[in-house]
Amino acid sequence: MSATSNNSHPLIEVRNLDLHFGAFHALKNVSVSFDSGQLIGLVGDNGAGKTTLIKVLSGIHKPNSGEVYFDGERVKEFHPKQAIRFGIETLQQSVGLCDNLSIARNFYLGREPIKHWFGIPFLDFKKMREASTKVIRTFGLRDNVSADDQVEMLSGGERQSIKIGRAVEFKNRVVIMDEPTNHLSVREREHVNELAQQLRDQGLLVIYITHDIHQVHKLADRIVIMENGEKVTDVAKHEMTSDELEEVIRFGGRDVEKEEVTV
Amino acid sequence: MMNISIRQLVRQHNEIGIILIAILMVTLFTTTSFDKWANAYNLASIAQITATLGLLALGASLVMGTGEIDISVGSTFGIGALAYLGTVATIGPIPAMLLAAVAGAAIGLFNGFIVTRFGVSSLLLTLSTLLVFRGVAIALTEIEGLSFSVPYDQRSGFFYQLFGGGDILGINTGFWWLILGLLLLMAFLYATPGGNRLLAVGGSAESARSRGIRVTRVKVRAFVICGVLAALAGTLEGGKLGFADGGMGRLMELQAIAACVLGGCALLGGRVPLTGVVVGAFVLSSIQSYLVVNGVQPQWFMLLLGVIVVTAAISDRALRDWALRSR
Repeated sequence: MSATSNNSHPLIEVRNLDLHFGAFHALKNVSVSFDSGQLIGLVGDNGAGKTTLIKVLSGIHKPNSGEVYFDGERVKEFHPKQAIRFGIETLQQSVGLCDNLSIARNFYLGREPIKHWFGIPFLDFKKMREASTKVIRTFGLRDNVSADDQVEMLSGGERQSIKIGRAVEFKNRVVIMDEPTNHLSVREREHVNELAQQLRDQGLLVIYITHDIHQVHKLADRIVIMENGEKVTDVAKHEMTSDELEEVIRFGGRDVEKEEVTV
Repeated sequence: MMNISIRQLVRQHNEIGIILIAILMVTLFTTTSFDKWANAYNLASIAQITATLGLLALGASLVMGTGEIDISVGSTFGIGALAYLGTVATIGPIPAMLLAAVAGAAIGLFNGFIVTRFGVSSLLLTLSTLLVFRGVAIALTEIEGLSFSVPYDQRSGFFYQLFGGGDILGINTGFWWLILGLLLLMAFLYATPGGNRLLAVGGSAESARSRGIRVTRVKVRAFVICGVLAALAGTLEGGKLGFADGGMGRLMELQAIAACVLGGCALLGGRVPLTGVVVGAFVLSSIQSYLVVNGVQPQWFMLLLGVIVVTAAISDRALRDWALRSR
């Protein structure tokens, strides 16, 4: 343990995290850790705390108490900018793209490539266009979509593809997908799930948040279930079937344990 | 095919509406005014009015681009004029102009700080600062010993003429400042990371924030630029007139906002066609001038201004809906 601990720490480690929103206790003493190259299914009902947890990881919320370690380093500042610096990319359904801007401008929003003219930093349009065009072609957008088109012209699946493409392009280490397949057609949903697995295969940590345990059970290596702000289950995929996990979600973690005792 | 490309053009260039209106208007005014409107002297005077209104509107459009609004620009304009005229005779044009710019920046900083720090609606806050700084302007002009009128013998210096007090190629220097300001702002807004972020904040502040953009900073910066431009517009107008009173720039804020909306800016932010804003200022100035040369009482301009803005808002909406329909 002591000899190898430097290399064996998890990529993200959360210890005793607590977060209140006024009287609402959103996260209760949550401890969990995630490793690179894993696809984690983070599952739970509305209000279970899964979105709150990832908002802490992506720097949107600051916890009231508890610690977060990234690659062994204690996280001190909670701001999206800091999370981006660590290489944590969060994909949220309705957030992340500005409808009024072109695909190329959205792609590099917040870390625009620049070219100096007379000492003034100007956008490097050539680079922006090239990289986003590559992503448009790789991630299966319609042939007539160009990097200069505004995002408001795109379908839901195409928007997700842009966000995932952006996560890959910036060599992130963690990709958090919050309900990535909501409002998508069946084909688009399969496409997004394939992309999630590709990211994992490239050695990234993928945290996949969903209501749908059956869907994520097919993809994930590990399932974490949350309920009322607490982590109630944390198992490797092969330890429980998706039906068993559904029971946990339906009846709550403790109730199942009780049942197991009575059986 | 033709139809689709026109739609695409309209979709990507929100200033097209106002440019078409401007062309129609110029044609109409030229043919109906028996040279009273379209003569060199009157056009030069329109260029000067367009310059001050245009600079004011450009600043207001940047704030509007972030999803906020600044209606205090009329008073900032007045403060700028007073700061310049009150000091130019003693400290010279360049320091006086810089002083005006600093005053404008301070007002912008104050607006931006209160809006972002306390989450006050910018409409409400800048309405208050509009009144506050109008009051300050009037109070300043009532202080004994302060003069806001420049003696004639001091109006001939090169720098005095450069800041609105003279002409280049027969057109007031203010107009050339407008052209310069427009080019600089276009470079900033469309071709730098700062501009990209400003438009992003107006499009979706939440998305911009999730990309690590400090939304507060972007908004405060827009308010500061707006304050500086308003004060410089006031400087140019003050330099042109050579004197000012506490009411200088009154109701200019409405014309500035109108120029933004006419020019194709979205009130909710994210859409700032800068050339459209300047053309909007030109259209308003031209209408005003057309009414004047035809002997119409000035109050009719205010009435017409209201009607124009509502019509522009409705037709802009219709045009964009049409442009977005074909996919």
